[in-house]
Amino acid sequence: MTIHTLSDVSFGEQLPTFTPDTGLLNVKKFAVAAGWDAPRFTDHAAARDQGLPGAVIPGIMSQGFLSAMIHHWAPTADVKKVDTVFRAPCIVDEIYNVEGVVTDIDEETGEIEIDLTITNQAGETRVFGTAKVLLSQ
Amino acid sequence: MPTADQALDVAALRDQFLNVVFDSYELTLSADRLVAYATSCGETAAKFTDPQHADFQAPPTIGSSFQPKQRFPKGFPTFHGLGMDAGKAVAPDKPMRAGVPILVQTHMHDIYTKTGRSGRMIFFVNRMTFSDEAGILLGSADTSIVIREKPQT
Amino acid sequence: MILDLHAHSVKSDDGRAKVQNYCQWIKARNIGIDGFVLTEHRQFDDQSNYDDLAEKHGLTILKGSEVETEYGHVLIFGVTPALQQAFDFTNIHLPLAEVISACEQHGAVAVPCHPGRKRVGMAAHLETFGVPEGVEIVEVFNGGSRGDEDKIAQQLAEDQQYMGIGGSDAHIVSHIGRCATEFPVDIFSQQDLVCALKTKKFKAIKLAVEA
Repeated sequence: MTIHTLSDVSFGEQLPTFTPDTGLLNVKKFAVAAGWDAPRFTDHAAARDQGLPGAVIPGIMSQGFLSAMIHHWAPTADVKKVDTVFRAPCIVDEIYNVEGVVTDIDEETGEIEIDLTITNQAGETRVFGTAKVLLSQ
Repeated sequence: MPTADQALDVAALRDQFLNVVFDSYELTLSADRLVAYATSCGETAAKFTDPQHADFQAPPTIGSSFQPKQRFPKGFPTFHGLGMDAGKAVAPDKPMRAGVPILVQTHMHDIYTKTGRSGRMIFFVNRMTFSDEAGILLGSADTSIVIREKPQT
Repeated sequence: MILDLHAHSVKSDDGRAKVQNYCQWIKARNIGIDGFVLTEHRQFDDQSNYDDLAEKHGLTILKGSEVETEYGHVLIFGVTPALQQAFDFTNIHLPLAEVISACEQHGAVAVPCHPGRKRVGMAAHLETFGVPEGVEIVEVFNGGSRGDEDKIAQQLAEDQQYMGIGGSDAHIVSHIGRCATEFPVDIFSQQDLVCALKTKKFKAIKLAVEA
């Protein structure tokens, strides 16, 4: 169901899971656009030389995935805050699920809060956080 | 520049460096950059992906990608070890548009220490604010940088 | 009674959950716990009073702490003003022996949490510091565990004959109640919890939480 107004939203509602493109080419495209074109994000071998398990998806790209997930669910949502904690690196070319669930609804202001998680295939949380989103009433 | 191989006096650092703008510059976003940023993140709405759209704007989290020219204030200790993003909060207030100059200013908002899976860590929270030419705030972004200290030998 | 013994609210630097939203979530999703303990990092939250929330939602909401020692992180249950004077909760280099001793003296219980985790878990430090005296309970189910961290914790508990508790280590609302501890008695206060832990009649459980 596509969300348009606050009345469409219910507490505890699960946003549709988004599986983003974490392939090296797409991450490179992002890194260039963001001005974060460093080898640790775009080159597996160089990242391993730095002690990382492989090229790492920039945390700011994770935020972009989360914001995109919110817009897929509620195209007119006005994202007012995305607050993320990076628990463990997300690795380029690995599959991640981007998920959200509504945990607070303020009927007066039209603001909702969404729990955000990015999990790997083992179900481990790599990134978590919250978003504050405004919807028309 | 001093180094911080020994235990940090966090209180002294806070007194000296918190809430002082140490970096300021202007940037202008191109439409191509906005489209690439949005589409690589998976945005599909035309207002983020189509420069011809009447409300074409940057994706809301783009402010997180802006980086200060200086990572730390002048005179701040340097650290050994790998600096990593530990958390980011971005709070967009008004849309950023292609071709519109944006003033980006950074100050240190918090400094604290804790232990984690990777040993002792020092967290620095930089707050960056974005405003337009009229001085209207477009948003802000907090970046927590964690330095994993190398064990003392 | 089932309590999630390890949760963080916005009072912790990396916590993003408001306590009232934990309560709403537990009720809305029928999470199988009767309450939770807020174990904020490196502090005891003296200011907050959750009695009204607890009553409104029919939940037990207690406060503890998660402190940091040379053996990793340790949950403290039964924090009193006197215990807060006994050592500095903000110190990230607390000697575990000092924490355990102070807890014993002031009627509290210290429980090393996520002991299977690198660096911040007790198992990683046994080779360097040896098996610590005075530990009787460890957290064997932690909702934030990755890889084999819980298995290491359970093995440690078996090897050392420790009792095991469970806690979600929730930092966001939707993670509350992923792991918990089942007690045969009702628990409504810190004192009840300390008593129940000292009687050693409880078991760690993992709860299936629907998406």
